[in-house]
Amino acid sequence: MDLLMTWLPAFLVGARNTLIYCCISFPLALLLGLMLAEMKNARYVWLSMPAKLFIEAFRNTPIITQIFLIYYGVGGVLTASNLAHFDNAWVAGVACLTLNYAAYEAEVFRAGFLSVERGQSEAAYSLGLSAWHVFRRIIFPQAVPLMLPTFVNDFIYMLKDSAIVAVISGSELTSTLLLATFRNPGNTLPLFSLALALYLAMSLPISFVARYCERRLRAAF
Amino acid sequence: MHKTITAGEPLVFRRSAARRWLQRVDLLFYALLVTAIGAFGYYLYYYLTTPLIHGLSGNVAMEIYLPFLLQHAGLTILISLVSMALATLLGFVGAQGRLASFPPARWLATIYVEVVRGTPVLVQLLFWYFGVAQVLFSLGFDPYNALFNLMTILQSNSLVANLDQNVVDAFFWGAIGLGFNYGAYLTEVFRSGLQSVDSGQREAALSLGLNARQTLRRIILPQALRLTLPPFTNYFITLVQDSALLSVLGFVELEQEIGALAYPQNDTSIKLFIFVLGALFYFVICFSLALLARFLESRFAKAYRG
Repeated sequence: MDLLMTWLPAFLVGARNTLIYCCISFPLALLLGLMLAEMKNARYVWLSMPAKLFIEAFRNTPIITQIFLIYYGVGGVLTASNLAHFDNAWVAGVACLTLNYAAYEAEVFRAGFLSVERGQSEAAYSLGLSAWHVFRRIIFPQAVPLMLPTFVNDFIYMLKDSAIVAVISGSELTSTLLLATFRNPGNTLPLFSLALALYLAMSLPISFVARYCERRLRAAF
Repeated sequence: MHKTITAGEPLVFRRSAARRWLQRVDLLFYALLVTAIGAFGYYLYYYLTTPLIHGLSGNVAMEIYLPFLLQHAGLTILISLVSMALATLLGFVGAQGRLASFPPARWLATIYVEVVRGTPVLVQLLFWYFGVAQVLFSLGFDPYNALFNLMTILQSNSLVANLDQNVVDAFFWGAIGLGFNYGAYLTEVFRSGLQSVDSGQREAALSLGLNARQTLRRIILPQALRLTLPPFTNYFITLVQDSALLSVLGFVELEQEIGALAYPQNDTSIKLFIFVLGALFYFVICFSLALLARFLESRFAKAYRG
């Protein structure tokens, strides 16, 4: 119990940092994902092909490989050529989470836009709306409620995947946990339980929100 | 501007000049793409044939890295298959538990699913390897010795005598950790698959005199399989990716090997190259699995349409 009380403040700071990682990365991932989805839907190959390549590359490699590649590989080259310098894991961690999740969110956006019936946009076009107006006023408002539960679920996934930042010592909950277990190698189970409980305390309320959204959505249709 | 339409002239909607111009950029893009692919190939070729330590001849990266990486890619696939088998077993039991009429079984399965799905895989793996394994080790259980004793009973312990104890331990706990984690996800997949089969099917089978076991095996499972197979293959792909996390436990699979080759390099561009090469290995494994999953999905969709 003493052990838990001494480590609790550090764990809480770690949990806060986990939330900061996600709250920075997820909106960025949504923005990039929306851009990628629009690019992939474009009729020009020079727009759609790069988006496809990006999505396949990031969806088919482990996030831990990406984080090592960005932190040690790209970071090393940038440092060697005096272009940038990583003092800590924040930039690499946020970049990795953003790029990885953008690839997944792009597919969510695409599925969402496809689920809006074609007749809707055809009707809007025939009423004389411009392409931007059709997207902004017709497709987007109808697609967002459909995508919302998936986004909330993906946010929970990101909350869990942000643990991977610990491998480049990213000062979030799992990093704190690793530090604590290395300091107390004989008595690790309480520390693990505390970390698992904190993750559950973060993810379960959000998953209830997701389920609530889903139920509301099902009732609406 | 109004165009007067005369009889006999086909009505053609002309694309605007800007759009035609954008279409032409495609050609430029194809040229760029070919150049990029060629450049990437040359990049791989250049670093694979560069001598690692300058002054020594024949000591090229291709001969040193590729056999190691291939070997450890095999280990990655092996542990993924073992974990998936375990996860399938746990998922099937879990799904039976979630659909059971006995409340404690239902609660237990629900707690399992919620706890596992609410916490990161990495923390679970650390929990198994540094938490549970240590407690069991202090109580006298050790996977390597257990395996050795088992093989002694089978009179073939020379098969495992040469294995590294750390490797066996990390493999064992890694497979348990991954299997336990993915078991929870597969529980939900199997549950929704089993629930998707109309209850009339079960009733009809039972009224025709099939027993519960035959009903499950002959009626329910074949129909549920169609819905569960696509998510099942998708989870297998994510499992292959998550097996890279075992490198944190010190299990020498592909990711650990990439790091072991990359960190000692002083030249940062060689370091970057090794990470890119490793990512390429994972990409080949996962992308071929993804293509297989898409193929299966289309096959099953076709079968469903009749």
